Amino acid sequence: MTHWLRLHYLALLTTLRLLATNPLSSLFNLLVIGIAVALPLGLYTLVSNLQGMAGQLPTEPQASVFLQTDASAADVARIQALLASDANVKQSRHIDKTQALKDLEQTSGMGDLLAGLGNNPLPDSFELTLKQGDANTLAELSTRLKADSAVEHIQLDSEWAQRLSSIVSLGHEAAITVAGLFGAALLLITANLIRMQILTRREEIEVSKLIGATDSFIRRPFLYLAAVQGVLGSLVGIGLVAVGLSRLNGPVAKLAGLYGQSFQLSLPALATLALSLLCVAALSLAGASLSVRKHLRLLDT
Amino acid sequence: MIQFNQVSKRYTGGFEALKNLSFQIETGELVFLAGHSGAGKSTLLRLVAGIDRPTAGSVVVNGQNLASIRSGALPFLRRHIGLIFQDHKILFDRTVFDNVMLPLDIVGYDRREAGRRARAALDKVGLLGREKMSPISLSGGEQQRLCIARAVVHRPSVLLADEPTGNLDRAYALDIMELFKSFHQVGVTIVISAHDESLMADYGRRILRLNKGQFTQ
Repeated sequence: MTHWLRLHYLALLTTLRLLATNPLSSLFNLLVIGIAVALPLGLYTLVSNLQGMAGQLPTEPQASVFLQTDASAADVARIQALLASDANVKQSRHIDKTQALKDLEQTSGMGDLLAGLGNNPLPDSFELTLKQGDANTLAELSTRLKADSAVEHIQLDSEWAQRLSSIVSLGHEAAITVAGLFGAALLLITANLIRMQILTRREEIEVSKLIGATDSFIRRPFLYLAAVQGVLGSLVGIGLVAVGLSRLNGPVAKLAGLYGQSFQLSLPALATLALSLLCVAALSLAGASLSVRKHLRLLDT
Repeated sequence: MIQFNQVSKRYTGGFEALKNLSFQIETGELVFLAGHSGAGKSTLLRLVAGIDRPTAGSVVVNGQNLASIRSGALPFLRRHIGLIFQDHKILFDRTVFDNVMLPLDIVGYDRREAGRRARAALDKVGLLGREKMSPISLSGGEQQRLCIARAVVHRPSVLLADEPTGNLDRAYALDIMELFKSFHQVGVTIVISAHDESLMADYGRRILRLNKGQFTQ
């Protein structure tokens, strides 16, 4: 057991020596792996953040009813009564057109421009929370309301939330595809990095074999090197994503503020990060073992 | 210890390096291998070390037939053999000391004990004071002695030296021969190849003469 441990200790020592003797190229290798990790991880992070945000959106179907701009107070009252008596309308809220204009002036900063308008271009409207939001009930409601000449337009607001959620799931698929591609790239990258290491240490390998080194003795430092590179490279990748997120977070908070939301991008959970680190290490090991197998056979004496 | 039975070796391309050789070397024997370059000396040593396999016949070393040995078992056979190369095969990316440590690291020897042994081997070849140096600063003769220290540090029972004095002047060559003599005195089986027979004559040992892959008398 101690003998076995000693062999592994020696292999790890050799690995660290390899990393330390060429610090610059080691750093470049880590960056290459880091970038290969950062792209799919970053995409995944964005998508899952978006998913989290989409999850917070109201799921109840909502609709807006816009009246004609010249609708009178009597029209408003009539529509309000109509909505109150409708079986499918759970709740309705009247938004007065003068109030709507004031809100717009405040939030858009276009106060001067709006003040220049002779009359209020905004209509009275109602925000509805519906019991059912499927196309049929909505169409029924729409025909009922449009029978009244004061109603201009009915819009299902929750539609965009549905669109967002399908965009998010599309993004999810894309992230998985990108992760698969970069996983394959990572495998090839490590295989190539290890191949170069083997070629630069060719002499040592030949001599070691001549004086009784087993194949596993030769293989071990390269596998360790790949695993260590994989782990350090993933950490670099996670670091890159974290830096990217902190750069994005300012603009994102501003954007979310415009929608009256507070929202922060955050790194995936620690367990997810640990899992991706393990995956990268495993892929690196697989690439290294492919490369070692192939090239040690070529060096066979 | 080493036994060849009707051994032939033909390289790909058709060159026949050894033709139907049979001989035996007893445990503890010191044997010289003489012949011009291209006579097959190196090929013979490569067969003993299991670097090449014979095309025909059997090569038995330490009771194992190398013609049919599993490649997984070869490293363990080689740990009983010390190899000295004409071109030294020293690794220049590490110190003199670490070069000598390599065979012990391969076996997974305890580091402290290994260090003690490595220094003893360096002391034996007169390089103890240079252990922390890079081998590049050593002269040709010193590099050859470093190669010998690496070959004996794990105390092999067989020592194979391919032209160990090939590139050295006579005084250095005699030094090296004295080293081999001292290993022989402690019971190591030694095969030394050389194209210069004048060095061998002084020792009164058996000389195997090779010419075009066959023994001559």
